[in-house]
Amino acid sequence: MASRIEVSLKPGLLDAEGEGLRRKARDYFGIQIDSVRTVHIVTIDAALGDEQLQRVQHEIFTNPVTQISSLAPLAIEADWVIWVGFRPGVRDNAGATAVEAMEDLLGQRLGKEEAVYTSKRYCLRGQAIKESDARRIAAELLANDIIQQWKIFSRDQWRPEEGVGIIIPKVRLDHVPTLTVLPIDSDETLQRLSDERNLALNPNDIPVIRAYFLDPRVQAERAKVGLAEPTDLELEYISQARSDHCNHNTFRGLFHYSDPETGEDETISSLFKTCIEAPTLTLEKQKPWVVSVLWDNAGVGRFDDHHYYTITGETHNSPSNMEAYGGAITGIVGIYRDPLGTGRGSRLIMGSYGFCVGPRDYAGDLKPRLHPRRLLDGVIEGVRDGGNKSGIPTPFGQVLFDHGYMGKCLVYVTALGIMPAKINGKPSEKKTILPGDLVVMCGGRVGKDGIHGVTASSETFSEHTPAGHVQIGDPYTQKKMHDFLLEARDEGLIRFITDNGGGGLSSSVGETARFSNGCKIQLEKVPLKYAGLDQWEIWVSESQERMTVAIAPEHERRFFELSARHGVESTVIGRYTNTGKLHITFDGKPCAYVDLDLLTAGFPQWRFDAQWRSPQDRGLHEPVLREPRDHSQLLLDMLARPNICSKNWIARQYDHEVQGTSVIKPLMGVDRDIPSDAAVLRPVLGSSRGLAFSQALLPFYSRIDAYHMTTCTMDEAVRRLIAVGGDPEHLGGVDNFCWPTIQYHPVDNPDGRFKAAQLVRSCRALRDLCLAYGIPLLSGKDSMYVDGHLPGRYGESHKVSALESLQFSATSVIPDIRRCVTLDPKMVGDLVYVIGSTADELGASEYYDLLGYVGCQVPQVHPEAFLTRYRALSKAMGQGVVASCHGIYRGGLGVHLALKAMAGRLGLEVNLDALPADGATRNDKLLYAESAGRFIVTIDPSRQGLFETVMGDVPLACIGKVTEIPRLVIRGLDGETVIDLTVPALKAAWQKPFGDLS
Amino acid sequence: MTAINALVLTGYGLNCDHETAYALELAGAKAQRVHINALIDGSVSLDNFQIMAFIGGFSWGDDHGAGVVQAVRMRTNIGDKLLAYIARGNLVIGICNGFQCLVNLGLLPGFDGDYTNRSVALINNDCGNFRDDWVHLTVNTASPCIFTQGLSQLDLPVRHGEGKFFTTPEIYRRLSANQQIALRYATAEGHPAKGAFPLNPNGSLDDIAGICDQTGRVFGLMPHPEAYNHWTNHPQWPHLNERIKRGLAQDPQGLTPGIQIFANAVSHFAK
Repeated sequence: MASRIEVSLKPGLLDAEGEGLRRKARDYFGIQIDSVRTVHIVTIDAALGDEQLQRVQHEIFTNPVTQISSLAPLAIEADWVIWVGFRPGVRDNAGATAVEAMEDLLGQRLGKEEAVYTSKRYCLRGQAIKESDARRIAAELLANDIIQQWKIFSRDQWRPEEGVGIIIPKVRLDHVPTLTVLPIDSDETLQRLSDERNLALNPNDIPVIRAYFLDPRVQAERAKVGLAEPTDLELEYISQARSDHCNHNTFRGLFHYSDPETGEDETISSLFKTCIEAPTLTLEKQKPWVVSVLWDNAGVGRFDDHHYYTITGETHNSPSNMEAYGGAITGIVGIYRDPLGTGRGSRLIMGSYGFCVGPRDYAGDLKPRLHPRRLLDGVIEGVRDGGNKSGIPTPFGQVLFDHGYMGKCLVYVTALGIMPAKINGKPSEKKTILPGDLVVMCGGRVGKDGIHGVTASSETFSEHTPAGHVQIGDPYTQKKMHDFLLEARDEGLIRFITDNGGGGLSSSVGETARFSNGCKIQLEKVPLKYAGLDQWEIWVSESQERMTVAIAPEHERRFFELSARHGVESTVIGRYTNTGKLHITFDGKPCAYVDLDLLTAGFPQWRFDAQWRSPQDRGLHEPVLREPRDHSQLLLDMLARPNICSKNWIARQYDHEVQGTSVIKPLMGVDRDIPSDAAVLRPVLGSSRGLAFSQALLPFYSRIDAYHMTTCTMDEAVRRLIAVGGDPEHLGGVDNFCWPTIQYHPVDNPDGRFKAAQLVRSCRALRDLCLAYGIPLLSGKDSMYVDGHLPGRYGESHKVSALESLQFSATSVIPDIRRCVTLDPKMVGDLVYVIGSTADELGASEYYDLLGYVGCQVPQVHPEAFLTRYRALSKAMGQGVVASCHGIYRGGLGVHLALKAMAGRLGLEVNLDALPADGATRNDKLLYAESAGRFIVTIDPSRQGLFETVMGDVPLACIGKVTEIPRLVIRGLDGETVIDLTVPALKAAWQKPFGDLS
Repeated sequence: MTAINALVLTGYGLNCDHETAYALELAGAKAQRVHINALIDGSVSLDNFQIMAFIGGFSWGDDHGAGVVQAVRMRTNIGDKLLAYIARGNLVIGICNGFQCLVNLGLLPGFDGDYTNRSVALINNDCGNFRDDWVHLTVNTASPCIFTQGLSQLDLPVRHGEGKFFTTPEIYRRLSANQQIALRYATAEGHPAKGAFPLNPNGSLDDIAGICDQTGRVFGLMPHPEAYNHWTNHPQWPHLNERIKRGLAQDPQGLTPGIQIFANAVSHFAK
């Protein structure tokens, strides 16, 4: 029998959650609510006695100091009650931990069919609240119908003795697992089946698949194990492995690139091979610190003689666009599994985020599934809970607003780990599998999660069908697994480890089986969340928090002992073999028998037509603009731009101190509120070596040319490292491409050829700058199809495509953290220098955007000159000559001088006529050009000579000094003061847009 | 002198084990990371330890109130052993999630030697969110707290969503009268924060950041002393570094104030 416990704060105690809801309803929708009380509901679907129920009520679910609770609905005054609970099959983390706590307290296990579900009801008071308001609060603030259900009660409808009723979102499939054999009598039949079953097979692949299954040798071998035509599981396996997500068909495609203006015409086979793999292989030979690249879940670089760091990054765009919180938490928790599955396992040491969304105050006609404001709130919370609850610091991140992300948002997540160079005397980065090793699945259980991604789900919703296609990450389960696997690693129990991510077992077992050349899996052994999954569903399910591990049979006992110690579920699901076959059975019956090398043989390359059109050809030109007169107001308005202003409310929600390794934090300066150039950690406690990390994202320049977008982005990431003391001889990179669809279609994608050309140019730039700066690509991923179709005012729909976007992450190792430098000026009287010259490069700048222009002259990177500069500055920092350093990034010199003044809470007096310039001859251009390769540094006057000597013939100039009175005073080219603003005035403008958020 | 053994609890979503063990080692103890289940199944015994650290993290995801489920598990399975451990004169420190666990176990405030009564709570921050920032703290020098001896003012990071100290006026009066309020949020100059955000980051009653039992041997605090294990953890270290470079300040000597808290525990046994 099911029962229900309602828990709420004692009357009179501030309900912070309710208060947050009240504020949001007012700020977002103008709905006036007087007060909100939150009631937590624990619904227990288990046969417990009264006494047991009361024990769990009082000892687990009620804090006697602060809470009241009742087995009947609590009597709390309300004009409206909104109840929100999960749909069946959605991960209820609190429900799961409730079961653990109850089992512990009562000393008995709950039955197989018994469970605990959590939900909430919100008691709203306010005479002015209308029913439509209550609906809006439910649908647009509290719940997302993909994962949640809700009920609304007016004062009249509310029955105090019944409350919300007892709602049990239990999954009941009532389905006998069925394996289906699929006929392949013709290409058309297979194509039809692919469409019907959402297999998403590429039409060009279909003849290859048929040819394989019709091959007499294959048929004879299959007959011996009892199989003839392909099973649904086999086709699902092939479809997963051949998907763009797993196989990177776009980056491995054949591009025909042409530039009608220059007559250039080139065919490129695989952008991955030519622009990513080739330069990285070249650099791997030159850079002894590169340990392992291009094959494992993450790249590996040397931190010191005894430790390696691991790094990778990816995106979780589509799921986050549907369910922001669930998508983002699944994304960050998922990326953590990659370093954990690198080498024989690395411990996570940090994560980072990059969010690209539509304007937060969007008030236009388009109706995205989630308003950008709500979407941003959700992804912020998702990464917060994912990171904080994993005990992994999040010391760096970026947020960017652009209309193009209304169609689909971008959620970049990056993770770094560290591992000993040797485990039991053997290199930690190497791993392989021997025939006879056990295939072990660790962590969470398997349900109908993430099957066919977010696009599929052909099922209609009923009360008990699982809403499995969007998931909610469970950092608690994963943290337990993380701790367990690292202990197993240190005992030498792990032969091979990999993540269960996209593609589930199909991908993780399918790929690892290549190391031993075969496997035999007993699918019935895979632990399920609920009964009734078909075999193919078990095989491709993307249920989270799972790793696949290969262990030698002699380690089975100890491995499972440790697993139990840590409260982690692990299961042997088969053995690796050397038969060359992927062989799967279910209760002894054959489900799959496929040659592992099928996937490497003979599938046709995807083809793309790429036609470049120069900016001039596209009608772009510089605006006809005369210099503004009110420079002070202009600077204040620049500081309040959404892409420039303070977003501290996000950084403060992220734990960036856990593990005790923090050296340079995300927010630095006297008031701890200005974003630092890069993060620095001391990942090995007791060592004074530092690991520096930075990221950059400048998609705006793609409006002019994705080549320069790419070089500027990479240069910024590198410059951020140099600014904190990074070593220019150790630069690691991670590329994360997010691109709109590039396949040309005359109606659906008429500019596909141009977008394809942008991708080719971006990849060429990546290759060029990697080689010029010496950056091996330690890892990288691509995410295509960043487009969305949004309904408009009249029922029409609009395709909205994102800007061609590349997030570039960079790492460096700092021999001694004492050489690290922050951006805040520290001493009155210090000299202010600008390193690097300012050119007439305002194309796609923040300044032009403010005035409504794109322009044409995009910033350019001059790698040789810049690298010389970075080496010289690094040397100066090594000699301790630099008191503060800050790169000049988006927004230009004016914005970044203001940030420096705010960081030091000191004054800066500078003259623009002293500034090294190269073609920029006007105050507004000098202040807001976004030329790359520049820094602002402050120097002790007594070390000016040494500084200038070390810097050699690098373009630089002393443009002023640090003053005691906190004012930013800028004199223009003619010597007149053009800007004179106090630091509090600057800060007020910079904090204005989001300063009230916390 | 024989080694002082410190136990650092791990498992079930706790996450500050490495740095807490490191901090205890810096303070001179011999630290061992021990899974909660190893204590419960008896493979590790509390008998061998003098200092026990309930560390930060998200035990059981903190889904039913921070530290609640951990407290249930420990009380149910080894409650008597914990009480015996304290009765033997040993030390306990609870940091953040550990502090939350101590108050839910009733080890704090531990009036009159009763270590089983839940009478104070740590609840949602008034700001409504998890918050990471450094805070200024003042030490109640009249407190019997062993961990804060010799300290008067220090800075430490806080990182929590449920750190608002709350209790009834009656319990508050007893805590105050007994000098059990060991640590308070303060201004940079050491004046009371008087509830002002963000100096008092969570809305705690009377700016309370940490309390101890009447013996001073059981101590719980929301800030993280183990995360101030090196002088470069402090947010203003680059400024200090620049002053050192110019001969205006000395190189930092000795232990950081964060490590001093653990060192006080170790030296308690040396007396």
